[in-house]
Amino acid sequence: MAVSNSSRVTYEATIERIFQHNLDTRSFFLRLLSDQQLTWKAGQFLSLLLPIAGETLIRPYSIASSPEEGNLLEICLNLVPAGPGSHYLFARTVGETLRFTGPWGTFVFDQPPPAECVFIADGTGIAPIRPMIRRALASGRQPPLQLLYSALQGADLLYRQDWEAYAQTCSWFSFTPLLSNPPSGWSGLPDSLAEYVERRYVSEDSDRSRHFYICGVGQQVTQLRDLLRRAGYQRRAVQYEKW
Amino acid sequence: MAKLRILYETGEPEKVIEFDPAQAPFQHDGQPGSILDVMLGHGVDLEHACGGNCACTTCHVIVKSSMAHLSENSETEDDLLDKAPGLTPTSRLGCQAVIEDSEDGEVVVLVPRYTINQQV
Repeated sequence: MAVSNSSRVTYEATIERIFQHNLDTRSFFLRLLSDQQLTWKAGQFLSLLLPIAGETLIRPYSIASSPEEGNLLEICLNLVPAGPGSHYLFARTVGETLRFTGPWGTFVFDQPPPAECVFIADGTGIAPIRPMIRRALASGRQPPLQLLYSALQGADLLYRQDWEAYAQTCSWFSFTPLLSNPPSGWSGLPDSLAEYVERRYVSEDSDRSRHFYICGVGQQVTQLRDLLRRAGYQRRAVQYEKW
Repeated sequence: MAKLRILYETGEPEKVIEFDPAQAPFQHDGQPGSILDVMLGHGVDLEHACGGNCACTTCHVIVKSSMAHLSENSETEDDLLDKAPGLTPTSRLGCQAVIEDSEDGEVVVLVPRYTINQQV
């Protein structure tokens, strides 16, 4: 029996738009009811209260939009084969209402640190990273920003056009895509994510001043954390969220 | 049978749960057999905004007795506790602290008054 806590402020939002990124990934744009305001930081998540099978399931979804975008919140998720939460959401249509609490989470990016920032995302792990990068870019010219983004195949690199556009217009931002199942002729890098990180940020130089923000699903995230911390990066300079 | 006693900083009445650890999981959120799992599975609420995935600190509890009966902290749990309001030397995340054995002494936890995790 799951129990939802009724003491928290619960928000309601209408699904205003649904965007299909690829075969099994969608963004849901949630419009808060007009009398509600939500203040949050880049990187935080919403805790959706989903009425499934007579229970209220609690499912966290990172906010992929930016705080500056006001009361239209974007969440972005995969259809998980055995995941009742994602199946419930994928069955929703525009105009329906969702309930949630939040914002939650300590994986946040408020002000850019005075050092090179490396954002590492895998798949839909890009969701909390996206507003972080937009916040960092909006802060103006600064130490280099890098996005290292891995996915199974090209269609899974979400917001790819944005990353490529930022890389063209902001000389201090670079975008490195990695595919674990690349097509023939793929011009990206052949390394796995861990191999690339080890080579680029551990073996190639002795700079240990970088700050890392890592998000993805599964043990890969904590393996990257361990790799970087063992290499001498400060513990609090390696921030991560593992789903 | 094992026993979990829950105290509340808010002063609300304490609760006691007797359970068989071998029957875990008792529901679907948090580590099987964790404080969160035991509480939710017996109808006792505990905040868990991330769904018990060790991605927030809203299930922060302070262990008052029988710390040794709980599983070891992981680095991920410690990283999150580092950001928890009201951190104490015996703080744990309810979703991660598995009650391994309390045959010879009940586990006692205190639910803090605030779980201010909203960063605003």
